[in-house]
Amino acid sequence: MPTVTIDGIRVEVETGATVLDAARKAGIWIPTLCYHPAVSPPATCRLCMVELDRGDWKQLVTSCNYPVRCDIEVSVSSDRAVAARRGVMQLLLALAPENEQLKALAERMGVEGTPYPTVTTSQRDCILCGLCTAVCDEVLGRSAIAFSGRGPDRAVTTPFRQPAEDCIGCGACAVVCPVGTIRIRMHEQEGEIEISPFKTRAKMLTCEQCGARVTSVPVAEYALNRAQIDWQEFRQLARLCPRCRRKRTAARLTEGRTLAAQAGYVAGTKKAE
Amino acid sequence: MTVQEKLIETIVSRYDGEVGMLIPMMQDLQAESGYLPVDQLRRLAARLDTPVSRLYAVATFYASFRLAPKGQHEVTLCVGTVCYLKGAGRISERIQEEFQVEAGGTTPDGLFTFQAVNCVGACALAPVMIVDGQYHDKVTPDSAMEVLRGLPLEQRQEQQETKT
Ligand code: SF4
Repeated sequence: MPTVTIDGIRVEVETGATVLDAARKAGIWIPTLCYHPAVSPPATCRLCMVELDRGDWKQLVTSCNYPVRCDIEVSVSSDRAVAARRGVMQLLLALAPENEQLKALAERMGVEGTPYPTVTTSQRDCILCGLCTAVCDEVLGRSAIAFSGRGPDRAVTTPFRQPAEDCIGCGACAVVCPVGTIRIRMHEQEGEIEISPFKTRAKMLTCEQCGARVTSVPVAEYALNRAQIDWQEFRQLARLCPRCRRKRTAARLTEGRTLAAQAGYVAGTKKAE
Repeated sequence: MTVQEKLIETIVSRYDGEVGMLIPMMQDLQAESGYLPVDQLRRLAARLDTPVSRLYAVATFYASFRLAPKGQHEVTLCVGTVCYLKGAGRISERIQEEFQVEAGGTTPDGLFTFQAVNCVGACALAPVMIVDGQYHDKVTPDSAMEVLRGLPLEQRQEQQETKT
């Protein structure tokens, strides 16, 4: 296993692990925005840059997608690495100057505001990291959202900027959005989930037993298809909330045990015979 | 099969249904229809089993693709350095205001598509406005309005989806 030396701390990682993995193992914090373990690193935010020692020269690399193949030495805290990350943060702040989450991260990195003119993009508050589109494509296989336009008009949008037919209202994009720009809005009255700012809506599934909201209807269907279990009971269970599902399973188990006991099949009894 | 469906079928088979040929397919569609109609893009996406979002991404990335029909006339205003210094900016503003059209867009009544370009190589005539290929030199906001107001607007019937 190759050894990565980060700011003097030595850690061993699997071949092919990233510098970021190594840093996390070493307990060293590297700021990230577009990194998420669920998808292959888009490496678009450039915030995780570190300085890699190549012997006679040094190179800035993005730690989230730099694979470790042999023993290497990297520096997270070198002047150059710190300056590079701060520079990137200033650029990001110019893209989403009002964003609270971004501002908090900037503060943690010692960055105070941005010297650059703030950009007014067609989608406000978005740093265009592409994590949402990656999740929707790679994990869900829906590709309901994608980048559209280019240059200052580049934005994450649904096709034709209309509610997306391909969206199942799973909310994954909102969960991974590192700056909290994509949000889930619940419309209790209509029983609908809305993915904002895309204006896509989906009906919510309510638990047949207790009436609690479970997931969106298309997500439930999607999960059933993906599991590829066409089994009556499974379908019924899928229409319940997790609590009622557990209750029902527990009830079934006790019922089963009673039946089995009556037939003399309770665990232990049979073996003893 | 409707005419629209047939068109998609023809285009797709022209490229053996190869998704990698998406851009030529979209170019063909635009050549046939004059622009990229939303329904047709959806159809094409479904036919190629490709997310619509990808087609939309391509359509909005390249400046040569248009998602709205072209106007009956084509108005190009030069806003290059010389024309700009000679007041093309004010002409552009006036056109946008008066015809409710943005640069790159088409007037709501479909009269013309307005394009602002960065030099037509006729700086001695600045500011230059080109209407349907005809050059108008030394235009002012007022003379530009005069030309544009004089454009004829034909009443065209919307094409109907015809069944075959
Ligand atoms: S909520 Fe819609 S857009 Fe967001 S990840 Fe899920 S399917 Fe994609």
